[in-house]
Amino acid sequence: MRGWKRGVMIAVMREWRAPLVWGGLLIAFCLAMGELEPFYRLIEPDSRRVIYDRADFLTLLWRHLTVVGIASFFAIMIGVTAAVLVTRPAGRDFLPLVAQLASMGQTFPPVAVLALAVPVLGFGGVPIVVALLLYGLLPIVRNTLAGLEGIDASVLESARGMGMGRMQILAQVELPLAFPVILAGIRTSVTVNIATAALGATVGASNLGDPIISGIVNANTAYVVQGALLIGLLALTVDSLFARLQP
Amino acid sequence: MRSDSPSPNRVLLVLMLAACAAWLGLASVSVAPNRIVPGTAYLAAEAVGWPLALAGCLPMLAVAGLAWRPDERSLRLSLAVVLGLMMWLPLWLAINAMLLIDPDMPQSRLGIGPAVWLLLFLLALALIELRTRLALSRLAGWGLVVPILVTWALCLAWWLAPLALVREYQARSAQFLAAIGHHLALVGAAVGASLVLGVALALAMRRHERLERLGFGVLNFLQTIPSLALFGLLLAPLAWLSANQPWLAALGVSGIGWAPALLALIAYSLLPMVRNTFVALEGVDPGVIEAARGMGMSRSQVFLQVRLPLALPVLLEGVRITTVQAIGLAAVAALIGAGGLGTFIFQGLGQAAMDMVLLGALPILAMALIADALLGALASRLRDGSLTSPGGAR
Repeated sequence: MRGWKRGVMIAVMREWRAPLVWGGLLIAFCLAMGELEPFYRLIEPDSRRVIYDRADFLTLLWRHLTVVGIASFFAIMIGVTAAVLVTRPAGRDFLPLVAQLASMGQTFPPVAVLALAVPVLGFGGVPIVVALLLYGLLPIVRNTLAGLEGIDASVLESARGMGMGRMQILAQVELPLAFPVILAGIRTSVTVNIATAALGATVGASNLGDPIISGIVNANTAYVVQGALLIGLLALTVDSLFARLQP
Repeated sequence: MRSDSPSPNRVLLVLMLAACAAWLGLASVSVAPNRIVPGTAYLAAEAVGWPLALAGCLPMLAVAGLAWRPDERSLRLSLAVVLGLMMWLPLWLAINAMLLIDPDMPQSRLGIGPAVWLLLFLLALALIELRTRLALSRLAGWGLVVPILVTWALCLAWWLAPLALVREYQARSAQFLAAIGHHLALVGAAVGASLVLGVALALAMRRHERLERLGFGVLNFLQTIPSLALFGLLLAPLAWLSANQPWLAALGVSGIGWAPALLALIAYSLLPMVRNTFVALEGVDPGVIEAARGMGMSRSQVFLQVRLPLALPVLLEGVRITTVQAIGLAAVAALIGAGGLGTFIFQGLGQAAMDMVLLGALPILAMALIADALLGALASRLRDGSLTSPGGAR
């Protein structure tokens, strides 16, 4: 019995190896950045301080994750709902406009969106969440539309023939069939958001971008490397999680 | 349109009612005595009085009314009204400048308020919707934008000197033009280099299967790393290299500046470029290649005269994605001293001078949209051309 449990554990570990490794590295670097001081001393021999100490790295990571998490959560909710609504008979009038907007909006560089959000919404954490939310909507809406529109009409026909209601078809046929495409959109959205959130440090948000920005401002390469390392690991952790979820 | 008794176009209806609400309920301009002090916001009604502001709603309500029975004629009429409104907005700003700006205060400036931005956005959406419903061609769609741009340009040049954006521009016009040149040079160099490298890499990957897996693995990995982090990670090794290799330092390579920016831009550009080139070359019908061989063409002839032209549309798609992406990333590169339009964005954010941020962000947005439209049009044109030949690429 115990052997069987261990077998399952090993199987799970093997399946989730990539996210576990990246995530483990991320946490380890957050906790043990101070131990690497000799290495950073090598990069930056002239500075008095070589370890970013204005905030704890775990705190920065947590703030980064919160901002991206909140923005992505609402982007998924709003994006999927909007895409579902415009593919229903009642909302079909809006489909061409929403589809064009979603594909055209992706041409907008995320930096420009973030920069434009600040004059409208002000400095700090809120404009970043709003900017990330708006920008993150686009890939989700586009992919949800593509996933829903890509379903074979005969499949829907036979679902209707089996006497399924509209809601049933949506929940049991359309969304499950479109799920891989929707998930790919969410993956793009979250990846871009992690990168753009880091830029939020320039508009007064404190997150993993902060060491990079203050390193650049104070010409302290060691800070830059610390921030860059952690953001890179965070992106890889999240991306490998999505890669694992992708059926 | 599709049926004899058209049902109301609810999209236009919603857009126009939202536009009315924005026009009446949000500040249309703000007036600030100088660059730093935040401005006083004015509703449209506060600037010209309620009767005139309400009259301003009439064209929007007219479009909403026309949307009730959207036949061909009323849609065309709506299009004209929407175009007129978009051309009228800069004039509205000019009127506000005359009414609200004290000519004795040379420092005072007019800010564009949320109502005007939102109106522009909603009207642009209405324009897209009308273009779709009237099934206008891509060219006609762009033709519609020309008069709008011309009126804006004329107004900006003549009557809108007190506009904060114009004041910001006039304070650094030489810098601004240099930044645009710099931005374009950075993007051009990155796209050019990644095109050459990407095509070479894709060709090599087609030969060696192991390289294919390795190559896509590495490029996917790079694409996942956020831009700010990649710029940061390149900073340390390049600083070290230039400190230890005098010839690199003599070339201008250093931890900050164009070198890490260009390297990072190329790294990001390679994935879309290689992927599209690879897919494009794979997508060519083997029968066509066989036929070309049968006609006695040599290997290089087959490649240059058959495979490459057929693959070109998809390859161009890669160039389009890469260019648009590079235009945005080059803005981030300003943080590590690479120059370009991003400089204005980050300086403006640092000084809390929002109009300077706009001065950087709006051209970047325009550049991305123009690059997207031009390269998209070119690709679709090539694709239409190649459809006439048998087995066109995808």
